[in-house]
Amino acid sequence: MSWTYLCDAADVAPNSLKLVDANDIRVVVANYGSGFRAIPPICPHMEEPLDESGVIANCVLTCTKHLWAWNLISLELLGETEKPLKTYELKEEDGKLLAFIAEELTYDFEEEDDMDDDFFSKS
Amino acid sequence: MTSLARADDLAAAPLARENCAVSVETKSGVFGFDCAPGETLLYAGLRHGLTLPHECATGTCGTCRGRVMTGEVDVAWEEAPGAARLKRDKGDVLLCQTRAVGDCVLRVPAEVAAKPARHQIPAYRTGLMENIRRLTGDVISFEVALSAPMDFDAGQFVVVEAPGLEGARAYSMVNFTRSADRIELVVKRKPSGGFGDWLFGATAEGAKVKVFGPLGRATFHADEHKNLLMIAGGSGIAGMMSILASAAEADHFRTRKGYVFFGVRTLADGFYLQEFAQRVAEAQGNLEVTLALSHEDPAGADHPDHPGVKLASGMVHEVAGRAMAGRYDDLIAYVAGPPPMVDGALRTLITQGGLSPSAIRYDKFG
Repeated sequence: MSWTYLCDAADVAPNSLKLVDANDIRVVVANYGSGFRAIPPICPHMEEPLDESGVIANCVLTCTKHLWAWNLISLELLGETEKPLKTYELKEEDGKLLAFIAEELTYDFEEEDDMDDDFFSKS
Repeated sequence: MTSLARADDLAAAPLARENCAVSVETKSGVFGFDCAPGETLLYAGLRHGLTLPHECATGTCGTCRGRVMTGEVDVAWEEAPGAARLKRDKGDVLLCQTRAVGDCVLRVPAEVAAKPARHQIPAYRTGLMENIRRLTGDVISFEVALSAPMDFDAGQFVVVEAPGLEGARAYSMVNFTRSADRIELVVKRKPSGGFGDWLFGATAEGAKVKVFGPLGRATFHADEHKNLLMIAGGSGIAGMMSILASAAEADHFRTRKGYVFFGVRTLADGFYLQEFAQRVAEAQGNLEVTLALSHEDPAGADHPDHPGVKLASGMVHEVAGRAMAGRYDDLIAYVAGPPPMVDGALRTLITQGGLSPSAIRYDKFG
């Protein structure tokens, strides 16, 4: 795939999130006032739907379920947040938001295994 | 609050007859501890001082996830809400709902320390139910006279098990004292709530209960020197009362501000109002307490019977949001209550107050 239309920039109010369907891939568009991010629709912590559980203030996205939070400009992990936020490359053309979607970004809750051997110190 | 390790399942379980040796591999090394017959792996690890990840300790939140690498275990409550996302085929369990049947090796995907940095190491105590009294139509308070004194931080909770009743339930302490030989707890009766029904019945007074704690990180520490914002609904006010008592003892409101917003349905549903009025008077202008009524418009701005307690109409997080505009400087916010109220309060604090997660403390029971 390539650049895919998400929605119009005007469709997402500042400091809000909108769930959109981009050719059958669910994407959340976050407007943090000075810019936009296109992200997978769930929190990487416990799969909360970010269009419902997420809030944006001061360019920070916070999932209100357990307060995992990311700076939407730098993508820095804030507080007790343990996993990075994945993002699609995004651009705005003529008021339209487009994301470069080569494949759907997921957090691989099933495949990823934080119980793997190399995860543990061998003391 | 929440709960349930099912007593009927417990009775049928193939329990170990003697202590089991548990080894837990973590991101910060390997630790060993003994697990007593019938004891959950989480409680066993915690009472040995290990900082195993947990929040609710009663099966709902899913934080105490671990993997059984070797050894046999027994899961008490298979349907625990917090277990919904577990990879059971790989041996993943909730440590708060799992007992060792023999020696076992666990993995916990987290940094674990050998003892807590700030809080007390929890322990088992027994206690006697005393001074059960009704505060409103559906709220009851009781005291537990403890078999051994307990130190705790204001805002912490204990898990209580009553004989013959299904489940372990988490309740925040209302009082605050060092080496407490009794703790005061408060319960809001829910439809078909087993513990509430038992409390409202005739056999609870004098009954022997089992208490594990203290637990919880939504705590007050005077040496942080912060202004305090508390938003609570119903029995969620319990921990806030403990925080107010601790703050008063430390003379915290001599130099710091406090704001309490307590949500109930109607004026008749308010409780601890005399205590609030006294705290407000003691704080000499630095403590505001507002009773937010969700289903009634108050006749005036002040409580008719309890001077110093303000009244407002609306959901408590909305009332707090309106009253706190421009006053979020240098504060820590505490939140407790029913999940929708907690969610609303967190949104208010983040979006209107601009608070960072590190300035918000609440026990994650969902």
